[in-house]
Amino acid sequence: MAYSSILDWIQFKDVMSNPFYPFESYNLPFDLSYKIWELLGGLIAWLINLIFPGNGVSVWLMSDEISNVFALVVFMIIIFLVVFVVTLLSLWMERKVLGRVMDRRGTMIGLKGFMQCLADGFKTFLKENTIPRKVDKKTYLWTAALIIGTSALIACMIPLSDRWFVVNYGTGLLIIMALFALAPFFILVSGWAQNNKYSLIGGMRAAELMISYEVPMLIMIASTCLLAGSFNINDIVNMQGDTIWFFIPQIIGFITFIFCATAEAERVPFDIAEAEAELVEGWQTEYAGMKWGLIMLADYLRGYVSCAMVVIMYLGGWLIPFVSGGVNGWFPEIVFLLKVWSVFFIMIILRGALARVRTDQIVNIGWKVFMPLSVANLAVVLLLKLGGVF
Amino acid sequence: MMSRDVIDIKAETSELHTDKMWVIMGPQHPFSHGLWTLKARLDGEIVVDAEPIIGYLHRGWEKECENRTYPKIIPMADRLCYAASMTYTHLYCMTVEKALGIDIPEKAKYIRIMADEICRIQSHLMWLAAVGTDLGNLTVFLWAMREREFFMDLNVRMCGARMTTNFPRIGGVRNDIDDEFAMFASRCVERFEKAIWDIIAMIDDSSVFVSRMKGTGILSREQCANLGITGPAMRGTGVDFDVRRDDPYDNYDKMDFEVPVLKEGDSYARYMVRIEELFQSCKIIKQCLQKVKAIGRNAPYRLKVPSKVPAGRAFVRMEDPRGESMMYLISDGTDKPYRLKVRSPIFVNVSAAKPLVLGSRIADVPAVMAMIDMCLGETDR
Amino acid sequence: MAKKEYLDKYPRNPARSLWVMKPVSKALKIFFKTIAHRPVTILYPYEKMWMPENYRGRPGLRFDRCVACGMCVKMCPTACIKLVDTEDGSGQKVKRPQVNVGRCAMCGYCAEYCPVDAMTVTPEFELAEYTREDLIYGPKRLAYEGITERMEIHLEQTLMSDIKNGNPERRISPFKTDRPVLVEAKCISCKRCEKVCPVKAVTMVEHGVNEKGRPILYPEFNNDTCICCENCVEDCPKDALYINEVL
Repeated sequence: MAYSSILDWIQFKDVMSNPFYPFESYNLPFDLSYKIWELLGGLIAWLINLIFPGNGVSVWLMSDEISNVFALVVFMIIIFLVVFVVTLLSLWMERKVLGRVMDRRGTMIGLKGFMQCLADGFKTFLKENTIPRKVDKKTYLWTAALIIGTSALIACMIPLSDRWFVVNYGTGLLIIMALFALAPFFILVSGWAQNNKYSLIGGMRAAELMISYEVPMLIMIASTCLLAGSFNINDIVNMQGDTIWFFIPQIIGFITFIFCATAEAERVPFDIAEAEAELVEGWQTEYAGMKWGLIMLADYLRGYVSCAMVVIMYLGGWLIPFVSGGVNGWFPEIVFLLKVWSVFFIMIILRGALARVRTDQIVNIGWKVFMPLSVANLAVVLLLKLGGVF
Repeated sequence: MMSRDVIDIKAETSELHTDKMWVIMGPQHPFSHGLWTLKARLDGEIVVDAEPIIGYLHRGWEKECENRTYPKIIPMADRLCYAASMTYTHLYCMTVEKALGIDIPEKAKYIRIMADEICRIQSHLMWLAAVGTDLGNLTVFLWAMREREFFMDLNVRMCGARMTTNFPRIGGVRNDIDDEFAMFASRCVERFEKAIWDIIAMIDDSSVFVSRMKGTGILSREQCANLGITGPAMRGTGVDFDVRRDDPYDNYDKMDFEVPVLKEGDSYARYMVRIEELFQSCKIIKQCLQKVKAIGRNAPYRLKVPSKVPAGRAFVRMEDPRGESMMYLISDGTDKPYRLKVRSPIFVNVSAAKPLVLGSRIADVPAVMAMIDMCLGETDR
Repeated sequence: MAKKEYLDKYPRNPARSLWVMKPVSKALKIFFKTIAHRPVTILYPYEKMWMPENYRGRPGLRFDRCVACGMCVKMCPTACIKLVDTEDGSGQKVKRPQVNVGRCAMCGYCAEYCPVDAMTVTPEFELAEYTREDLIYGPKRLAYEGITERMEIHLEQTLMSDIKNGNPERRISPFKTDRPVLVEAKCISCKRCEKVCPVKAVTMVEHGVNEKGRPILYPEFNNDTCICCENCVEDCPKDALYINEVL
């Protein structure tokens, strides 16, 4: 066979025309990863074809089925990298904003302090992997792995726009909520497994925290879904575009949900599970080095997910008011992330302004304040729905 | 507050068997400001027994003094309490002056009590900072530390050192203060009286802070008397006593100030008393600056004192930022003390740890103990 | 501010118990303030805090002024000063103080009690070294460029007798008033006080002869040059000298 140009292998086919395209609608990260795989795989296939002209491997690499498989691998990396960078940016923002609130500068090393986040992460990776002798080793490890794993999973499952998603479930919000609520159980077991009194109390407190905010939070999710008439994230966001952003009819729910989301992400004022004043680091006491670094990352991933849920449910997702139409005019992903960061900013200010509540107080707040408020919110939504406004 | 007996009976009669566990907080625990340990016995989250353990910072201060000449003890007295170094130095100098039987110049008295009040503000601000971290808010910590820094600058201008000031001397003070210092001090105090409202709004207007402090760590007047608790912790329970007013030393009797007293006896009352004392200290500093100016530039500020103290005993007490501190000196006629005993307020106040935390939740232990304002330098000596 | 004003400004109303907006608004206020201006913190190695001239950092020494009286050694509360042999500019062997800065408490006593103001305080506070030996500052290393008037700390005291006599404004250093006094009956004419005097203020004057025919020498002190360093008092083998403290 004659010499084939590299352009014969890299054709930048339309991803939607691929018969094995795994999504139902257009997916931007998959499109990107498909093109990246065409570049990489096409290069490899061309090189192999140069050495062994006419072989089957090159053709196999660039076939429709296999292209999809490799593109999906690249797709996973892209999705996670974006989430990771977003989380690092949130971390950096927290450090800088909290610093300014406290009349100091925050981190200062490299790119206005951003490199400090990378350096801290790198440092934890270089540390010795210490495991205390008397812990229940297996449980100690798998609980940490699951806490980090579920957090990373839901963070990746948050769609950034109607073209940037991993799966487009009919029950998307419910699944995110379900996975989100899993971590406190692992924290409870992990605190037990660590054979440390502080961790044990921290784990118990995580459970105590969960029973106080989880029910009002679910009621508020239900009212939002009732208002939108769907559990699908796309439908909820589009409904807000059609009518009005949901934080206006559900203003009670919006404010309550911000506090509940703060509790869900275990941030001040509801960080009782890792209250460093009385329980050294709460349930994280015995985790050291890389494990602790990943747990910190998981904490910020959960913070990101909390903010993203607020944005999806109340702030119109990736929509800009008075701008309608297709995705080509502007970047809905950037809009979504900007909204997430502005909600995160509120959380940072709350952290800067408030102190940690006590365990009995959080249960009190959960059942005596959040619960009636969420029911009131539900009533408002029912009235609106029955009155035919939505 | 639940008594210990009630909880014990409850735990034994309940069908669900629960074990009580000892949680040891300190000396590396973030809750203990300094090297001390609080052993707390927990039933679930509720403290049923507690025991403070001190002595990690014991360095033989009193014995060390017996080998030093009288002026050399002044820098050591600075190290008794790092948060308010002037007060112990002042106390020591007053004790030796009493043993010598001399009366120091008026100007020195005013400068000394002004230095005392500057240190009282510093100490209370450090306590405020500690309250912030113990309740989980770092903002209050840094804002209070920022305010404290201005008073540190005053210390530097006054005597050249920030913390261990080594400023009072037997027979007066180390150096005179100049007009520049007076200007900076009055400006600093005026600025502080405005800036402190930011921190007060952070704590007093926050439902979280108030609900964490109200009704926790309650002490009664009787308990205060039995345990020998002094200082703001005592004034928060309704005991109206302040050495500055009731047994005045130096020139406090010529000062116009109030002693804040609150009746509630909980953490919030102690917080209010300390905040109020900040304002009273500002008032005293302003008055002192006026008096020093009125006395004049050339007035004596330091007496020459004999190097040997005649044989005898002297006992002086004063109002430390944390309570009532006393010193007892036995002299045998040489240039070194025969015995120097310090009564530190925190050494006594920490004995209130058990009645304070009993029946409260473990989350309240840092908040309640922060109101004692631990300072281990003077406790262990 | 009085308690009443405090309570007026902060009444105890129950509506406040659910209120968290004031601290949030305060936090936002400081946030925007520090965005517009700089925060109060400084970037330490690049910026430094203002220090007054009389800041008490490590001790400084003016080599030529020092007379090796040992007053700083006596007064140092941490015993970190030691007199060591060294050579001055003309190659003569002299004694000068050496400071172990690792033990120094920065109390400023050496500068305060120096009779000739050779020891000073310096505003130098960055003293970290790699080894403990490096922390020992010899006499030459103790020198500090640009010693100003305010770095010298003068010991100015008022005498109680002056206050009684109605002259309270006179301030005088104890090194100018206190002088050693001889108890002649104890003196054995050993001349040690003459040897140890750092300023050569002691002269041995002959006062007749004893029964063995040897001359009886009693020290006499030059009031102008004496700096009251008490070296003669401490070295006297028979305790024949004491310091007369003028009060």
